[in-house]
Amino acid sequence: MISVRAALALAATLLVCLVAMPSWAVPSFARQTGMACAACHTVFPELTPFGREFKLNGYVLDNIKQVTGIDLADRQTLAINSIPPLSAMLQVSYTHTAKALPDSAIAGALAKDGEVLFPDQVSLFYAGKIADELGAFMQLTYDGAADHFGLDNTDLRYAHHFAFGGAKADDHHLILGLTLNNNPTVQDVWNTTPAWGFPYSGSSVAPGPNASAQIDGRLGQSVAGLGVYGWLDDHFYAEFSAYTAAIVGGAHPLDSTQSNVAHGIAPYVRLAYEQRWDRDSISLGVYGMDTRVHPGNGTPLQGVTDRYRDAAVDAQYQFIGEEHFITVLTTYIRERQTLDASVIDAYASNRQDDLNTFKLVGEYSYRRTIGGSLAYFSETGSTDTLLYALAPVVGSANNSPESRGYITEINYLPWLNVKLQLQYVGYSKFNGGKTNYDGSGRNASDNNTIYGLVWVAY
Amino acid sequence: MFVIRAAFIVCAVALTSMMFGTLVPAQGAEPNPVQQTPAQQASLQTLIQTCGVCHGANGRSVSPTFPNLAAQTAPYIELQLHAFKDQTRADPDAQAYMWGMASQLSDTSITDLAAYFAAQPAAPGKGGNATLIAQGKQIFLAGIPEREIPACASCHGAEAHGNGPFPRLAGQHAPYLYKQLLVIQNVLRTAPVMHGVIKDLNREQMLSVVAYLESI
Repeated sequence: MISVRAALALAATLLVCLVAMPSWAVPSFARQTGMACAACHTVFPELTPFGREFKLNGYVLDNIKQVTGIDLADRQTLAINSIPPLSAMLQVSYTHTAKALPDSAIAGALAKDGEVLFPDQVSLFYAGKIADELGAFMQLTYDGAADHFGLDNTDLRYAHHFAFGGAKADDHHLILGLTLNNNPTVQDVWNTTPAWGFPYSGSSVAPGPNASAQIDGRLGQSVAGLGVYGWLDDHFYAEFSAYTAAIVGGAHPLDSTQSNVAHGIAPYVRLAYEQRWDRDSISLGVYGMDTRVHPGNGTPLQGVTDRYRDAAVDAQYQFIGEEHFITVLTTYIRERQTLDASVIDAYASNRQDDLNTFKLVGEYSYRRTIGGSLAYFSETGSTDTLLYALAPVVGSANNSPESRGYITEINYLPWLNVKLQLQYVGYSKFNGGKTNYDGSGRNASDNNTIYGLVWVAY
Repeated sequence: MFVIRAAFIVCAVALTSMMFGTLVPAQGAEPNPVQQTPAQQASLQTLIQTCGVCHGANGRSVSPTFPNLAAQTAPYIELQLHAFKDQTRADPDAQAYMWGMASQLSDTSITDLAAYFAAQPAAPGKGGNATLIAQGKQIFLAGIPEREIPACASCHGAEAHGNGPFPRLAGQHAPYLYKQLLVIQNVLRTAPVMHGVIKDLNREQMLSVVAYLESI
């Protein structure tokens, strides 16, 4: 019974991790650069090639008056914007699932279906230059459903530009940078990787599938990573980062009351190639992470660990016309799980599990005003009696992580910083089944979700 | 009438050239390192790299949203940067990209950037629809007398290499040139001489001229 409860708690944790959607694009950058959103984004938060360059250069490009200081050797000791690059974001949403969820307290009763979250999220940002070659994207978010305020995605960067080769030593250009961040892939510049991947917003109250890879959102805001990256000739990207546990909230020092606690150093590697021609660009890449984790959640953070080896490929195509904007994104993540600790703690029944994540997204926008997206997603992997245990709504009757479905979205942006979004998520399989997937009579399509969103950033 | 308009254009060219007489076209000129401190040189390098993000490392851009700057005439680049800085050039892309980018440039930086990009080797021409190119060449070199549209070459030079404040057009991205013709015709971009010259140019004629210019 304890193990079932533990599995349920784990599933609930997974659910929360899954529905914690990333954020965003910020007018701070527009204030700092003096450039419209269109310079860096097709439709926010998706980046254009210039947006990628801006980020890789450390968020430091500025076009506003500076407050500066120098020492007697003419070395610059201070260079900050005279007006800080601050901005705010508000999201108000409406969620409706095809069938209401069970009441959390009264057996047999149903919760209200059709929920407005006001706010869904409110964020404050400092996004821009800190000093020459040093910049930051920092986000503080109030989550309406969770009713808490906390540090969201954060990425501090240092970047230095080198030119070399040829008679004038300018045939090749290299940006070497450092990133200090709290979510693996938040530092990435392509919208194929999880932290900034599609969907860019989604319901935080609708049920989500029971499984996701560690790199696919489970470590966000619970690790800290320091990385070094290189960007050569606007083509080649290479990065190595090292992450360690840095959980916000709960018990400190970290102890058994925390869950999914990274053990030691988790290395993260990213390689990518981008080719640009005319109005098009294409990128191909690989990324991966090797994370050892203490399950925690009532068990000590000692002894053997679970190990998650994530290896992924990704690709992106982008066309940026005068009126038409097209993006195709895809990624495939293969996770090899070695669950030594979870087996001992009775959170998992198999020592070895696999989990495979696939996403394919097509997006179109007309004049950055009216657009839509269509995405296919799937999770497949090993069945595991304890990891994917039987439970109403969040569990699996056949102990499977398999979920698949599609997301359609219509977006209307009356102004570049205001997005009105209508999203529909449809499941053909949810937690291993199409019908009665949870053993309590719920079908996959009962979780189909309509999500309406008003998203303003200013 | 055509003769009068052509004469007006020639006068405008002469007058503008006189106004900018001291701004000798700077093809081949390098920024003067003798007068620059190491800090100034480093600053110029940073500016060049920043421009290069959109306009290409040596002023030869990939995306046709952003014009090639390589071998552009220095006086024209200077004029445009000042127009962005004081927000007198106000077409949509100017506002979206260049108002911010030029807002903090000093007069010295503007001069140095103009000299640098003017000295870079030009982007090579890109072939296209032969019929369109032939039509465009005809308009560029001879104008359209029956519609009183003078030859573009009278200001921009027979090779379209530009002349002082009149920009180089050879090898420029056709979509960029087409958009400029549209925004000038719609008076979203102020260009007094060009307003008169192209007011009767139709879309097909614009497309042929820019196809020709991109090809040379």
